[in-house]
Formats: sequence, C-alpha cells, structure tokens
Amino acid sequence: MINLKFNVNGKDVEITVDDSLRLLDILRDELGLTGTKEGCGIGECGACTVIMNGEAVNSCMILAEQVQNAKVETVENLEKNEVLSKLQDAFLDNGAIQCGFCTTGMLMSSKALLDKNPTPSEEEIKTALEGNLCRCTGYVPILNSVKDAVKKYLHK
Amino acid sequence: MKFYKPKSLLELFETSEKIEGKKYFLAGGTDINVQIKNGIIKDESIIFLNHLTELKGVLQSDNHIIIGALASFRGIIESKLLKNKLPFFQNSLQEFASPLIQTTATIGGNIANGSPTADVVPLLLVLNAKLKLFSKSKLREVPISEFYLGYKKFILKRNEIIGAVLIPENAETGYETFYKKIGSRKALTIAKLAIAGLKRISNNKIEDIKLAVGSLNEYPRRLYKVEEYLKNKTVDEIDFFELESQLKKEITPITDLRSDKEYRYQVCVNLIRTFLNH
Repeated sequence: MINLKFNVNGKDVEITVDDSLRLLDILRDELGLTGTKEGCGIGECGACTVIMNGEAVNSCMILAEQVQNAKVETVENLEKNEVLSKLQDAFLDNGAIQCGFCTTGMLMSSKALLDKNPTPSEEEIKTALEGNLCRCTGYVPILNSVKDAVKKYLHK
Repeated sequence: MKFYKPKSLLELFETSEKIEGKKYFLAGGTDINVQIKNGIIKDESIIFLNHLTELKGVLQSDNHIIIGALASFRGIIESKLLKNKLPFFQNSLQEFASPLIQTTATIGGNIANGSPTADVVPLLLVLNAKLKLFSKSKLREVPISEFYLGYKKFILKRNEIIGAVLIPENAETGYETFYKKIGSRKALTIAKLAIAGLKRISNNKIEDIKLAVGSLNEYPRRLYKVEEYLKNKTVDEIDFFELESQLKKEITPITDLRSDKEYRYQVCVNLIRTFLNH
C-alpha cells in the first residue's frame, strides 16, 4: 500500500491505495470520478485519457506511484458551475457524440492541445487525437467540434 | 509484488543489489504497467526510476548529444537542441506510438524493453549511437550495435541500467536520410517492419551507406553485408540479385500476428530500392 498525495481537478487528495492500482482505477474506484472510461486497458484506444501535469496521458498506463505529487485533470473539471466548456458545447452542437464512450478521452486530448496551443491547424488537431479511437467511427464531427471550439476562442 | 522508489541513483543501485529474484526497472511503464494489470508480472519486484531527474533531459557535451535514458518521447520530439542538431532523428520519431504514449514512454525504456520492433533502435544504429551504462561503481559505454545479444537479451549486468544515449552531433551531417515504418495504420502502429538509412553520394557513387532494420530479426540490426556490397557502386552497378543474397544472410523475418515473412522480406527489398532510387 502507498500513501498518495496528488491534486485532482484543483483539489488536493490524500489516499492510501494498493501499489498495483492504475491512475484509472484510482479515479474511478477510489474517487468516484467515473467520467474517465476504460476501453482497451493497453493504451490503444484513449478512452481513459486524462491530463497529467499539463499533458494528455493514458490513465490506464500510469501506476499509482507515478501519480505522486502530480496535477491531474479529468473530464469532470470541464464543466464549471453547471456551465459546459466551449469545447463540450462544440461537441454537442456538432453531434460529435454517438455512443459517447470515446467522448471524454476526445475532450481531454483536445483540451490538452488547446491549453498549449489555442489556435491549432487541422493537422495539429488530427495529430493530437491520434491516440483516441472512436468505435462508432464518427471522426468528422469530432474534428469539426475542435475546429469550432478554436473559432469560438478566436472570436472571444 | 514489491515496489521500490529509490531517492537517488546510489540508493537505486543499493536497492537493486539487495533484491533477489526477478525484478523490473520501471521507467515510463507503458509496457510494464499493462503486464502488471494483466497479471503477467505478479511476483517480481518493481523499482521505479522515472522520478530520477538526473537521467532526464537532452543536452550537448563536447561533440555528442546526450539524451537521458528517462527522456520522454515528448521531450525528444520537442527538443530544440535535437531539432537543430539531429532533425532526421527527431522527425522520424513523430509517429512513435501515439501522442498520449509519447508523453510517458522513455527512450531508455524503448531500448531496454528489448522488442524486435523497438522504433528508436534502427535510428540509433545508423547514427552510431552509444549507450552509457550505469552501475554502482562503474560507468561504461557500448555501441548500440553491441547491446543486444538475442531476443530480449542484452549485455546489461544484473544491477546495471541504461543511463544515457550518446549520439555524435554530426551523425546526420552530409547524409541523405531515410526512415520508413510500415504498419496497418498511421497512428499507434507496431511496425511490421521498419528501416532507417543514411547515404552519402559522391560522383554518382555511394560513398557511404548505413542501413538498419527493425522487426526482421530477434532484435533491430545494421545490414553490414548489404552496406559493404553497396559501397563505391553507382546505382546502375547494383546487381539486385546479389543485393538480395546479401540481405538474406542478415535478416530472418518471421510470420506472426502482424505480418508474414514473405511480405516482410519483399517490402524490405522494396524499401531499400526506394532509398537507392532504383
């Protein structure tokens, strides 16, 4: 067991967990943050994407100890005071959600990109989403959503 | 399963020496963590490395670029020093795994995981990279071409780790470069085969050429016999039957879940031809 201190969505968390748990398990089972999904569990689908220390990562590939003192952001952090983020709005407007399973991962990979680069090119958006699979294959509306979010940012 | 998180390199080696039985050094963990989850690794000891900042970063020293073994692929792809000095090496790694894995995975981990398809190794082979190996009382340097002994077998001693990768700063200078990774899709591909090449042409002759392949042997290798055959020839002087007979002495493609041996062989030949503009 290890005593883990880290920050999730702006809140400091201190918990004791089994060493072999993954960040994904800690978020879902220990902290009840079930917005983050488990798809493949081997880093190929990106459904478990969260932002750790400013970079998008597969939370299924991060072991408890690797989260020590880290800053983690999950999809639950996008909505503020019951208002969805511009990115989430853009996903809704474009119908970029079919079954919804990949959505949180898509949102977090997109957010990590936009946090670093608010005006990415189409190519940069595609590259940022390369690690996220949509099993419904609805990639076009997803891409359009991120482009719309960029436009909203520009017209802010 | 026991986990250890040494506070320093010295403590790392002391911890490692005390552990009996099988152990894993965990860098980014993108392979090991999945094996833990799937129960493939369950009784072994795990020693965390990734917090040891002294093994991170990319820097210049004398006439070498030194990449810390724990440098992430994100760090490598975004390094200004590499962009300036080794752009071919850097650009070739843009398609490494996915952006999500690039953040976590490390160069040392890619080498020490020992996969026959390790993306970074063919590149390091043609760039004449060396590995700096650290143990408690000794530092030693070995060419990457001498690091692997067989499938997942290395010259690393029991309490020794890869500390850094050294690439001569002018390793790419004056060469035409080539890197192709063949897979079933663009992102997140585990290569069916990969080939890296450097060549220098003078008076239409191949003055120097270096070729290395991944996924065609039990570990990535230089094609020394093919290189020897090609040196000092013009493209028109190359007899491709002879080239193939040299190639067959150096690669042992297998059929597995990703591809079959005939495909791997033929595509390897085709890629060498492409690189030679033949």
